[in-house]
Amino acid sequence: MNSDNTYEVPIGPIHPALKEPFLIKFKIDGERIVGAEAHPGMNHRGIEFMGMHRNPYKVIPLSERICGICSIVHQHMYVTAVEHAAGIEPTNRARYIRVIMAELERIHSHVLWAGVAAHEIGFDTHLHFTWMIREKVMDLLEYITGNRVNYAMWTFGGVNRDIPKRMYPKIEATLKYYEELYGKLEEIFLGDPSIRLRTIGVGVLTKEDALRLCGVGPTVRASGVRKDVRIDQPYAAYGDLDLEYQLPSLYGYGDTGDIFSKTLVRLKELVQSIDIIRQCLDQMPDESINSEPKMAATLNKLKKADGEGIGRIEAPRGEAFHYVRLKGGKEELDCWKVRASTYNNLATYAPMFMGEQIADIPIIAACIDPCIGCMDRAEIVDVNTGKRREYHHEELHRLSVKKTRDLLGGVER
Amino acid sequence: MSWNDLALRVVLVIIIPFVGIFLGLLYKGFDRKITAMMQSRIGPPWRQPFRDVSKLFMKENIIPDNAVPWIFNGAPIAALVAAFVALVYLPLGPFEPVMEGYGDLILVLYLLAIPAVAMAFGGLASGSPYATVGAQRELVLMMSYEFPLAIAAVTIAWRYGSFSLGVISSDPVWNLVGSMGAIGLVLVLTTMVAVLPGELSKVPFDQAEAETELAGGILVEYSGRNLGIFYLAEVVKMIVVGTLMIALFFPHNISDWYSFGGPEFAGLVVADTLLDVGFFLLKLLIIIFSSVSLIRVAFSRFQIDRASYFYWVPMTIIGLLGTFLVVLEGVI
Amino acid sequence: MPTTTIYTLIKQLFTKKATNPFPVKYAPSNMHGAAALIGSGKVRINPPVNIPKNFRGKMSYDKDSCIGCKLCLKVCPSEALAFKDDVKKVKHYVSRCTFCGQCADICPKDCFAFTDEFLMAGTDKYAEEMVIDP
Repeated sequence: MNSDNTYEVPIGPIHPALKEPFLIKFKIDGERIVGAEAHPGMNHRGIEFMGMHRNPYKVIPLSERICGICSIVHQHMYVTAVEHAAGIEPTNRARYIRVIMAELERIHSHVLWAGVAAHEIGFDTHLHFTWMIREKVMDLLEYITGNRVNYAMWTFGGVNRDIPKRMYPKIEATLKYYEELYGKLEEIFLGDPSIRLRTIGVGVLTKEDALRLCGVGPTVRASGVRKDVRIDQPYAAYGDLDLEYQLPSLYGYGDTGDIFSKTLVRLKELVQSIDIIRQCLDQMPDESINSEPKMAATLNKLKKADGEGIGRIEAPRGEAFHYVRLKGGKEELDCWKVRASTYNNLATYAPMFMGEQIADIPIIAACIDPCIGCMDRAEIVDVNTGKRREYHHEELHRLSVKKTRDLLGGVER
Repeated sequence: MSWNDLALRVVLVIIIPFVGIFLGLLYKGFDRKITAMMQSRIGPPWRQPFRDVSKLFMKENIIPDNAVPWIFNGAPIAALVAAFVALVYLPLGPFEPVMEGYGDLILVLYLLAIPAVAMAFGGLASGSPYATVGAQRELVLMMSYEFPLAIAAVTIAWRYGSFSLGVISSDPVWNLVGSMGAIGLVLVLTTMVAVLPGELSKVPFDQAEAETELAGGILVEYSGRNLGIFYLAEVVKMIVVGTLMIALFFPHNISDWYSFGGPEFAGLVVADTLLDVGFFLLKLLIIIFSSVSLIRVAFSRFQIDRASYFYWVPMTIIGLLGTFLVVLEGVI
Repeated sequence: MPTTTIYTLIKQLFTKKATNPFPVKYAPSNMHGAAALIGSGKVRINPPVNIPKNFRGKMSYDKDSCIGCKLCLKVCPSEALAFKDDVKKVKHYVSRCTFCGQCADICPKDCFAFTDEFLMAGTDKYAEEMVIDP
């Protein structure tokens, strides 16, 4: 114990509150948090480097393995980026199928998050309940794609598998199941007295902090920031669909930015996703699902293609981004950069942790739905008790050189 | 005290800890199974706690470098022994307590505090920040729930005018009070039900262990045999607390209402006793179900300040109100 | 505090459990013995969850129609396919397969197809059924 009566508690790299390797060092005074310092970089797998040694088709299955939960997200972004770079246009039907899949995954991700959040506050019953109902959407995803996770659904110019009319009843049945259960979820997560005790007024992120720290997704929408890529810059078929920013104030709650409102936003997005899928099923045009049916020809086209492209979509956790550069005559990707939503949201940890109790660490850590596997690509640590640490050019360059050397196998640590 | 009597007591004192361990593990298995079933899972088989303990005893016992070994190793044993001793002073079913005296109840309350204190000391001695936080929480929690528990115990003892558990369990307390006293007793019983999860460190009062926050808290550095002994102490304590509750509030026996025959037929007496033992086990089951299993799955973990507030304010007020009603009726 | 949760919990005590006890309810103490018993048909295992129509199971390979164009090798992300120069056919290592189906998509002769088989867990990744060798 120091003279100033604080002591340090490390949460991570391996800790039950975190589902993935990640380190946050807390300065604790009694039960209060007076300082938090995030240290990412425990889960760096060099996926981008691997991708840059493979041809674009081989990277599709690799990209979905960036994250275990949002596999559709990364696939979607990567494929969009390559299509952008090579000038391939997906068919309209494929755009709608992509939206349906993305929204199914949003349901799956939000239900899973609700379970994790319940587990973090010591409420395992709801963990088991939410994960039980999550099975339904997993079954539906398996029914459509043939896999429970890592769906391998995307391809350049469209999707691999169609959603024919015969699948509609089952999709509709699943959507109905969630609609019926929604009341119960709301009752549990918004009405249960012991959950309310743990969530209201805890982990508050003010609107100013949310804007200043560039948070994304439900994390900042709960603070009243109107930010959603699906509306701000529509991709796939979102431009044709009718959707709205899900803010707590839309439903008569305050935009407080605490964990309660984050839960609320996620639950309301679940309803929104059901609505979006219904709209898609109604409006889906009848045409081919792939504008580039000849894979071998596309492979050649991509080899010749020269240019750069971006994929920017609203993942369940918030805005995420892929950058791809192709060089004419080079089969492999010239450059591939992934920026997942957790990277932005990590900065919002600092104001949320400050002044809370140790008991609130797990739920606050979980409230941004952190996905370290997605996030851990850069080695810049810039959260230092709320202050930003800046790297100057030489240091960044040195780090970059060191990273490359590490990746090449010449580990010098 | 005759030699025969003394020999019998010595034998019983040796046997009862084993009975306590067996029953504790059995009910722990029951708790885990029923919890799983309530969460729509299949859950582990009933004998899982037996396997867990036997496996823990086979595992390596690791002592951290910056731990204080004698406290670190001594704490589990102190906890287990305290639980055993408490069990010896309690009436198990239709049987009289093996050891008895004038202040049994007070002694049992102190003995119940020892496992918690031992765990806290073990945690503090293990030299891990998680364990330190856990130990602080355990002590805070203990200071919080001891008062409502004492209120409940003193109320019952006041009604009998004796702190002897033998006396208290000989006649159910409900027979001694009128309608106003019964209301008071229900309030005191509520306090006791609320104290049970805290006493046993179960959700919503498992802040000291808090898997997701402190990664096991006070037990984080414990492994192998030491952890196994803590496990045994925990399950025996569960039996102790359940039996204490039965002794204070529900010492009923089937033989009070129905008997197969008079004392002249040995076989029928045995049948009566067996029935009473079965009834005792059933009562224990119901108590563990209602105040451990059900509460464990139906609530989330409180923050430590809220848990402390819960015991110090609402539960203390309810308990004192109950005491007031019982005493008022007694005075009138 | 009687919350609705408690009511649900008590109800779930008596309803059917969500867990599917596949292949057996509890892990047997002797895994190899149990596996042998199941293998010989003496013990019946609980059936797995039904699989959908387009399931991505183990790949089947039609070696007769394969023309040895090597296109599948170009798109296989996990290098689960190896080319056998002597017979101009493809060798498929199931243990490396990620079931993305790109080999099936690119194949001009449709040699690859998904089957329903998914019980592939084992200790030897080069076991006979884990390598499709023409």
